[in-house]
Amino acid sequence: MIKPEAVGLSLSIRPPYRPSTIAINRKSALAIGVGLLAALGVVMYVVKLFSWGDRAEWAYPAAITLFVLSAVSAAPLVAFASRMARGYWALPTRRVVELFALPSMVLFVLLIPILGSLPPFEQDGVTRANLWFGWGGGAPFLTDQLAVSVMLLAGGALMWFAAVPDLAGPPSRVRAMPAWKRLLFLNWTGTKRQWIVLRTSMRWISAFYLMMYVFVTMILTTDLGQSLLPGWRSGIFPAYHVITSFQGAVALIVITLYLLRRYAPSVGQFIGDEQAASFGKLLLALTLFWFYFFWSDFLLVWYARLPSEVAAVQTNVAVTYIVPFLIAMSGQFLIPFVTLIFNPIRRKLARLTAVSVIVLIGLLFDRIRLFVASMSSENPFSHGLAELPEPYYPNAIDILFMIGVVGIVAAIYLWVLTRIPTPGGWEMREGAMYRREQKYMHAEVLLLGKPD
Amino acid sequence: MSARNSDRKRELLGLYNEPDDAADAVSRLRGAGFGGNDIEIISATPYPEGAFGEQHAKHRLFAFPFAGAACGLAVAIAWHIGAQIALPIVTGGKPIVAVPAIIQVLYEGTMLGAVLFTVLGVLFESRLPDGIGVYDDRIADGLIGVSVIARERRIPDAQIALEEAGAVDVLSKDGSLMRPAAASP
Repeated sequence: MIKPEAVGLSLSIRPPYRPSTIAINRKSALAIGVGLLAALGVVMYVVKLFSWGDRAEWAYPAAITLFVLSAVSAAPLVAFASRMARGYWALPTRRVVELFALPSMVLFVLLIPILGSLPPFEQDGVTRANLWFGWGGGAPFLTDQLAVSVMLLAGGALMWFAAVPDLAGPPSRVRAMPAWKRLLFLNWTGTKRQWIVLRTSMRWISAFYLMMYVFVTMILTTDLGQSLLPGWRSGIFPAYHVITSFQGAVALIVITLYLLRRYAPSVGQFIGDEQAASFGKLLLALTLFWFYFFWSDFLLVWYARLPSEVAAVQTNVAVTYIVPFLIAMSGQFLIPFVTLIFNPIRRKLARLTAVSVIVLIGLLFDRIRLFVASMSSENPFSHGLAELPEPYYPNAIDILFMIGVVGIVAAIYLWVLTRIPTPGGWEMREGAMYRREQKYMHAEVLLLGKPD
Repeated sequence: MSARNSDRKRELLGLYNEPDDAADAVSRLRGAGFGGNDIEIISATPYPEGAFGEQHAKHRLFAFPFAGAACGLAVAIAWHIGAQIALPIVTGGKPIVAVPAIIQVLYEGTMLGAVLFTVLGVLFESRLPDGIGVYDDRIADGLIGVSVIARERRIPDAQIALEEAGAVDVLSKDGSLMRPAAASP
């Protein structure tokens, strides 16, 4: 039987278990290394801004931006899913994943020049494919950024509200706060009404976050993808993108949990095989979904044989970007599928982490093959590619930019870990009230209470 | 005591070590004739709804997202129809105001309104700027608080009910009402 970590079952209610923030020494190799990478990201962003250039210059930044949308911004949804499904196994991980809402904010900044580089919908009387029917009210720049802002607002609110009971401290502290701060801390005293409002609001806001995430994915993948590569027409592609994003998010969470278990014992003591087994199952299911969605998309084009659609598939799958595609397919499907079907790999966090690293590499190359191909496409106003384009290779600035963005995301995440207590104290205490190991004949079983 | 003074309401807070004692306090208070709206449970950990026999806490948070979504949708519709009527250009033979062409932005407006109003609703429903009147930091250390609002003349009844349930301490706005020897830290 896969057991939960014993320490999680025996948490004290009185005096209450209170999580702490994770202390990271600013002079440690980790802090310096991540800080330098983040600084590199900022410098490369400024360098790109000053050199501006045409749309193709922003091809690799677009790929890494969509990678961040996929793996980082989708992560908080795992907390929502586990709350909806009453998945107590995920209790120690909920705060860990909600904190990814903060690094997601870089999306807004990254998208400014990328969306700004897009061509107009109409040029010389010819209209390019788009979702906005040529609407001139600021699409796609304003509309996409507005949608991203609503999503980020929901993510930020979810992260903050979930953390308020742990951050607020005793009522006397809240009462002593200035009015604006008291407002931020929801005037927290822990009344029954406040608990109910908190839970209800988290459910609502999480649902809004999911709705906006799917919508943002649809419009960004269309505006930065399908609308730029002539002949690329797919109704299933946004769904493919969402599913692979969930896969990437689960992989990122597994890696984060592994690192926390290894280097942050205050969180790591609660993380073990119970979480690995559940995330392993999710990752395997999402891996199988990859094949389903990719194949559903591919089969239609292959069977219909419309020249413009075949050329688009040859561009981002079969010919021009075949190397990134093969890496993506191996990382997102072949290797995880072959490894995760075995229990000893799926149920052990360290082994699952190794597979997750491969999944994330696959996801990055998937976004490269999809969005570099479209962002570097020469003529988005034609109805099909006259001839297959040459691959658009990254230069040194592109590579440093992508590394730097990963650094910025990691730096923001580490910073927020030092500011918000992890894991979520009130949910952990609540979980300890409802879970108990008990002898049943010769076996030990887990008794689980699900009050609502 | 004048009739006016005896009608004034005051709040008492009983502190309990054990959830069972807090539940006992709630039933004693109700037995003494205090209404469900006058009793509030305060805890550092969320207990299941109804665990203490308390009345279901009513809130109107669900109304905020709907109101926000309606406002957001209305603004988005006004923006679009206004823009399209102000600059009427027939595109591809479609109507000037074509729903499929604007539905994404209507969705964005609706969601923006819903999210913003939900956040405002949380602030409102958390009873800003004033929450519970009497409080004690020992609740943050794991004690469970049972708060009751009573008319001045019924304060002794409330105090007796809270104490008989095994309160660690009973507080009013002016401090502890229990004798020093009786009130454990």
